[in-house]
Amino acid sequence: MNRFLSLLPALLVLALASVGCKPSAPDTAGAAQTKTGSDAAAPAGGGAGKALTIAFLPKSKGNAYFIAARQGAEQAAKELGIKLLYDGPTEPDPAKQNEIVETWITRGVDVIAAACENREGISTALRKAQSRGIKVVTFDADALPDARSFFVNQATPEGIGNALTDEAARLLNGSGEYAIITASLTAGNMIEWQKAIEKRNAEKYPNLKRVALRPCDDLKDKAFAEATAILNANPNVKLLMNICSPAVPGAAEAVKQAGKAGQVKVIGLGLPNENKRYVKEGVTDTVILWRVVDLGRLTIHVAAATARGELKPGATQFTAGALGSFKVSGDNVLLGEPFKFTKDNIDQFDF
Amino acid sequence: MSAMPMRRTWLRSEAFLLAVLVVEIAIFSRTGTQFFSGTNAMEILRLSVEIGLLAVVMTPVVLTGGIDLSVGSLLGLCAVCFGKLWRDGGMPWPAAAGLSLIVGLTAGGLNAALITRLRLPPLIVTLGSLSLFRGLAEALTRGVDNFTGFPPDFLAWGQGYLGGVVPAQAPLWLGVAVGMTLLVHNTVFGRALRAIGHSPEGARHAGIAVERCTAVVYLLSGLAAALAALVYVARVGQAKADAGTGYELLAITAVVLGGTSIFGGTGSVIGTLLGVAALAVLRNGLQLSDQPGELAGILTGALLLVVLTAEVVFKKFSARRRGSSTLPASNSPSNPASS
Amino acid sequence: MKRYGRELSVTASLGALLLLLAVVAPAFFGRQQLLTTLTAAAPVLVVACGMTLVVLTRQIDISVGSQFALCSVAAGLLARAGWPMPAVILAVLAGGALLGAFNGLLVAGLGLPSIVVTLATFVTWRETLRWWREGEFVKDLPDRFQWLGLGQSSGQLFILLAAAAVFALLVYGLRRSAVGRFVYAVGSDREAARLSGIRPEWVTWGTFVTLGALVGVAAVLNAIRFADVDPKTGTGLEMQVVAGVVVGGVAVSGGRGTLWGVLAGVLLLACIAPALVFLKFPPQWEKAIQGAIILVAVAADGSRRARR
Repeated sequence: MNRFLSLLPALLVLALASVGCKPSAPDTAGAAQTKTGSDAAAPAGGGAGKALTIAFLPKSKGNAYFIAARQGAEQAAKELGIKLLYDGPTEPDPAKQNEIVETWITRGVDVIAAACENREGISTALRKAQSRGIKVVTFDADALPDARSFFVNQATPEGIGNALTDEAARLLNGSGEYAIITASLTAGNMIEWQKAIEKRNAEKYPNLKRVALRPCDDLKDKAFAEATAILNANPNVKLLMNICSPAVPGAAEAVKQAGKAGQVKVIGLGLPNENKRYVKEGVTDTVILWRVVDLGRLTIHVAAATARGELKPGATQFTAGALGSFKVSGDNVLLGEPFKFTKDNIDQFDF
Repeated sequence: MSAMPMRRTWLRSEAFLLAVLVVEIAIFSRTGTQFFSGTNAMEILRLSVEIGLLAVVMTPVVLTGGIDLSVGSLLGLCAVCFGKLWRDGGMPWPAAAGLSLIVGLTAGGLNAALITRLRLPPLIVTLGSLSLFRGLAEALTRGVDNFTGFPPDFLAWGQGYLGGVVPAQAPLWLGVAVGMTLLVHNTVFGRALRAIGHSPEGARHAGIAVERCTAVVYLLSGLAAALAALVYVARVGQAKADAGTGYELLAITAVVLGGTSIFGGTGSVIGTLLGVAALAVLRNGLQLSDQPGELAGILTGALLLVVLTAEVVFKKFSARRRGSSTLPASNSPSNPASS
Repeated sequence: MKRYGRELSVTASLGALLLLLAVVAPAFFGRQQLLTTLTAAAPVLVVACGMTLVVLTRQIDISVGSQFALCSVAAGLLARAGWPMPAVILAVLAGGALLGAFNGLLVAGLGLPSIVVTLATFVTWRETLRWWREGEFVKDLPDRFQWLGLGQSSGQLFILLAAAAVFALLVYGLRRSAVGRFVYAVGSDREAARLSGIRPEWVTWGTFVTLGALVGVAAVLNAIRFADVDPKTGTGLEMQVVAGVVVGGVAVSGGRGTLWGVLAGVLLLACIAPALVFLKFPPQWEKAIQGAIILVAVAADGSRRARR
């Protein structure tokens, strides 16, 4: 009995210890860069000369969109010589985001940069972080204004909704039926986009009619099946609008297999790399998105500047190193307008 | 069978789990920033209450050889009902909370009725109600509604600290845990559950009201899901149809890790509590050691396999040493409620 | 008649649904829609056939979705690395069998409960894949990948024929071969099976290996419908498959059920999602309807048995 009791935890020790020892190498590398990169000490947390630690929270991991944002964040971390922590829930889940923020509060970080799955849900935890001297900035999706210092705003829900609706109206010449494919009925930001699309549609395009809204569980294969069913059940649908990234290639494949390329237009929010094939084949007309890599990079610049006191409320301009200069409106740092990837420019982007 | 060898079995798996917990703490104290501190211990406690509630009440369900996969979805349904009653129904929150508990009880009753009246396998029934409850939560809110802005005196139950130290929801969990420990280990009812898990037919012949006892554990499970829903809403400050997705798997993992046999008959609430702790510490410690979240999932799976394997290997080993010729019947899946 | 009660009731439900669609939305039976529904159901059916074997021996495997994702990504990566498609298929099949063998080893060899073992591997494989691939699509696949380079209509035909062949082979095997009878024997009474000279451990292990190999086959059949591989593919597959098997009348207590019932169960569940689109149902009711169908299907059977 005793032999087994002692043997198995020992094995576990080995497994865990091998894990626990791993981060030491990048740690020292990061510290080495700090000395060259930063001269200002963090006002919150660490003492003079210590690297800033910025925790970067995506809505969910294993999502190509946030991988691209992380690329930018890592680039910025290198530029600024700071330590970057990246973690998030494996599925978009507000409660798990809270848990991660709470644990970061315990751990002690200098700044938390969060993409909020749910505004109200995470604000509680972010306010608590602020009360412990941790700076908070948000990106991608905002928290409540009193729960963060700055929001790196890539596009408002209205901006996205308008861009999508306008593009749909342009492709359909202002009238016709269309359908929306979303990730899930409960995803917070998609609900806001749907509302913005509905509003724009009602205000500007009375002859544009949404006839179906279907969830695809954020899966490409399911988006394909849903798109096929929508097309066959609603033969008058002339455009598929996809507001979650796996749905854009999924819907494009469905249109292609139905032999309706060109007759049924495909647009959506997605990443250039996942859609290059279909855009070039002429199945997908327009993919709308901001420059996600720059979003991640700018966020870390804003986070670091906030912690070092370089970016204060009331600023109207923010310079993010080599990335350039950005407008600040109130407490929003603006990344710029959503970008339209089409046949002509999609090859210039790699994310 | 006398009580003594059984008690020793629990002690053994609990001792093993305790060893795992000590090892985890020892490692993370070294690798994790701020891991070994009173504040962090309280945070771990605070963040594990919902899973803990589900797991503690799942234990008697599993003891009878059953399972309840619907608890995560039911948590979502109860959270949404609570939000709707409070905001749209205009009820004061205690009344809405009371009604949500009744919703949980009713949903547990549905599971219980299908399992005991129609004698359907619990796995299948609760697989169906997993979809059904989540679906109802989505239908009630069209998936879109998100209830927020709850009154501070309600939120205090999930965000406040008693005396500035102890999370407000901890005493509630402690109460449920102690209650369930007493119920499972010190009452005739608890013995009946174990008897049912060993052999439902045998229990029936021994004069146990198998159906009634089985029904009670599913009712309790529904009630626990509703209670966990309230704690969840108070902690996160919002109620939405996707609340509690996947919690059933975490709860079951904790129960099984705690040494309760998935086939029923043996197990303990203390073991489950240790299981909850082992999982919570693992997740917290890895994050404080700046390790990616995926690793927590991978190690949870590995831990589950290691603990189970250890138990089986040990059982065979000790059986051989005792010179007994019969190996324990290690693989006798039985679904008491299926015919 | 009584013996095949569940098979008949599920087939009747499927018939009723199809009849309703024929009246309300005949477009459901358009060639393109039908082909898409069937080719999407084919991989699910292949996995469900394997799952039937496992459930017949009183076990369950909830890690199939994660195995499916691993196999799909592996297929994509191997094809991109320049392997010819037959080699890719064989490799993925072997890989799937290996994953199944691991589950089987723990279940049959060590006697661990299958639901817990496969819960652990379900989490472990899924998280490993997420860690490794970080959700990135497997892109830029060679032209011989989609439809195996045969073109859309031949490719679809190939998928349907392959699934039909697997189904026919297993129906024949379960019914006529000695091994098939062993599976039923182990599931209905393990000790009796042992006493009559069957090695239950090997039979159980074999069913897990077979299921793993079939998951590999299904992953290929699914992946070749597309031009790139989504690493999240197969999420929720275990639910679809277990629900299909159970609705199709296979008893989770082992030893009872037929593949014909599973075929009807899988087709019924595969038709529901597109049917709701055609019937213009609000999407928020979809999960509730699916749950209700599972409960009603098993409750109908349960109440009949309870009355007896």
